[in-house]
Amino acid sequence: MPLWSVRGLRRGVVTTRYPAKPDQSAAALPTPPAFRPRELTRQDADRMIAVCPRAALRRREDVLIFDVGACAACGRCAGVAPHAVTASGEFELATTTRSALIKEIPILGDQR
Amino acid sequence: MNPASEPDQPGQAVGPASQDAAEAARKLRDMIAKQFGRSLHIRTLDTGSCAVCEQEIRLLSAPHYDLQRLGFFFTPAPRHADLLLVTGPMVRAFDVAARKTYEAMPGPKVVVATGACALGGVYPKDAFVHGDVGEVLPVDVWIPGCPPSPLALLYGLSVAVGRLAEKAPGLTFLAEDDPEGGEQ
Repeated sequence: MPLWSVRGLRRGVVTTRYPAKPDQSAAALPTPPAFRPRELTRQDADRMIAVCPRAALRRREDVLIFDVGACAACGRCAGVAPHAVTASGEFELATTTRSALIKEIPILGDQR
Repeated sequence: MNPASEPDQPGQAVGPASQDAAEAARKLRDMIAKQFGRSLHIRTLDTGSCAVCEQEIRLLSAPHYDLQRLGFFFTPAPRHADLLLVTGPMVRAFDVAARKTYEAMPGPKVVVATGACALGGVYPKDAFVHGDVGEVLPVDVWIPGCPPSPLALLYGLSVAVGRLAEKAPGLTFLAEDDPEGGEQ
């Protein structure tokens, strides 16, 4: 018998308590990016759009349009602009309206 | 039918008649959510996905996530299903099968689009794929992720039955350490 099942029998609980309680493994999940608008320049934005393997990023003048629904959380945007991008840590993204997943990120880095 | 989307728009209700209608709708939604909250049968539908979403869905019935403890069950027949969990970009060759599956399900029924393909993020609309499940089926809940982790799927299913409130509309995706940003 595998060791983990013996351990599970002794402790009594083997399942995650999610969604009643946060799950420990959630910290290790890849998550979509979060942006720092003040660090983000138009050049950064265009480079991120170029490396994005999905149609998750678009730019309209000084606004970066981020479609969370298309994002694969691959982290390539953080690779080309590490100063402006970090992991958001959000994975509970289910929604009843598709448009709620399209976020507008202001690009403020050029104004300094 | 969607128990999760409450019409919480203040100032919309005007007369007593519409208030009565809203109250009746709320009661009905609560009743459906209560029914679905106890036991809900899920039929998965692969419309041309790469099968990674299916791997994550299959993990839901593994001991760690133990989907059954929450009253969710997988069923092999759409006639027994309350919820259709759709993956893939909806290839056009699957149109008839998708419609038949949806029509075979007894009402009230919920359609959940799962993964970036189903949300229209991977394949553009062309001669072979619709590129978006919403083009063919009336989607109630969208679960992003490529693939969505089992925890994200559990959360999505809980949103679909109205047990948990959705939080995606409130997220800004601005980093917390930026003076401009912070999640709300």
